[in-house]
Amino acid sequence: MSEFTEDPYAPELGSFEDLPQNELAGNDEDTVNKTGTTTVGIAVDDGVVIATDMRASLGGRFVSNKNVQKVEQIHPTAALTLVGSVGGAQSFIRTLRSEVDLYEARRGEDISIDALATLAGNFARGGPFRAIHPILGGVDDEGSHVYSIDPAGGVMADDYTVTGSGMQLAYGVLEGSYEEGLSMDEASTLAARAVYAATERDTGSGNGVYLALVTDDGVDITGYDDFDDVL
Amino acid sequence: MQGQNQQQAYDRGITIFSPDGRLYQVEYAREAVKRGTASVGVRTADGVVLAADRHARSPLLERDSIEKIHKADDHVGIASAGHVADARKLIDLARRQAQVEQLRYGQQIGVESLTKEVTDYIQEYTQTGGARPFGVALLVGGIEDGEPRLFETDPSGTPYEWQAVAIGGDREEIQSFLEEEYTPEMDLESGVELALEALGSVSDDGLDASGVDIATVDVESEQFTSLTEDDVAERVDEFDLEGEDDE
Repeated sequence: MSEFTEDPYAPELGSFEDLPQNELAGNDEDTVNKTGTTTVGIAVDDGVVIATDMRASLGGRFVSNKNVQKVEQIHPTAALTLVGSVGGAQSFIRTLRSEVDLYEARRGEDISIDALATLAGNFARGGPFRAIHPILGGVDDEGSHVYSIDPAGGVMADDYTVTGSGMQLAYGVLEGSYEEGLSMDEASTLAARAVYAATERDTGSGNGVYLALVTDDGVDITGYDDFDDVL
Repeated sequence: MQGQNQQQAYDRGITIFSPDGRLYQVEYAREAVKRGTASVGVRTADGVVLAADRHARSPLLERDSIEKIHKADDHVGIASAGHVADARKLIDLARRQAQVEQLRYGQQIGVESLTKEVTDYIQEYTQTGGARPFGVALLVGGIEDGEPRLFETDPSGTPYEWQAVAIGGDREEIQSFLEEEYTPEMDLESGVELALEALGSVSDDGLDASGVDIATVDVESEQFTSLTEDDVAERVDEFDLEGEDDE
């Protein structure tokens, strides 16, 4: 008889121990799809805007996919970006979605964004989701939230945050133009501009932009091949 | 041995239904709860009150060692009726589960979630060979999202939510009293009074302050607070619940 239905640090369904230990040899690393990536999250009063580029690459030296959606809905009012290893990030998203659904089914209410960030940090810290650095953006009763979740499980909230290989370029744009009290439209344009700057100079980022708009009403994700449509 | 007794053996194994669909061991566990002294829970507009009869069988017994009301987490208290040893096991489960919620989600556990963790655990003991059910009922009271909540667990592992409820000895009588006197609008202090009166309603010699344990969790502080014996004595006196003849 189990005293606890769950390990506090592990996904409830499927344990870390059961997952294959996929230790890669040095030269295999070159064949792992990485997002390279620039992902931007901005929290404003009316919601959260997340912008991501569309390139997957092998070590930033070869473009392995030009049409990647790197932001996914994981909660009725939250989305997560894929940054780092594509496999790790996809598995991370599947796991968090199942946790969010179980939580809601059992308790009759959605998990708060803060609790979801804590849970995601626990998984990133203890689990097999190696080499990921996603942004979690969501809206709940407490307001709009943006978190970065680092590969060691560090969870940091901010008004705006950037992760991925184009991080410094995107931050340069945000530091110059971010101000408090932006509207959703203004934040969308700013986030797209930040990603655009990164795609111009970072070899791991490029090929267009996905925008996720997260509000009380839900998550709306749209892809744009051409930056002119959003700038 | 096997052949003859087979017919009456439905109450021997916990996992065996009787032909009319009853689990006798679970029903016997409910009897064990009735043999315990009563505990009362009252949900008021601004908090939850837990009260327990803990009269001692000997004046030499240290009262504080009779454990009937426990703090599960800052914002949740648990009162028991029945086997104290069984209760302790469940209360420790509740305490740890409250911390699991902090570790996993970084938040306080809800009273409903906590109750269901406990009842799911109790249920396993009604379906597992070689085990016996828990001979205890619990009242789980606390604050969740700013609202007072009060739940009961029973030996079958079924959770119930209540406005006011009694468990343990004289349950029916105390419950009738609560049904007569309870109003949802009452404040915390009135809730304490009602809980004391309810416990006193089944005692011929009135209430002895040292034989009653009371704790509250109010909406404002969201903190479990145990009343001292002096506090209880003051209220027993104020509400005129003392017996005519002193023992």
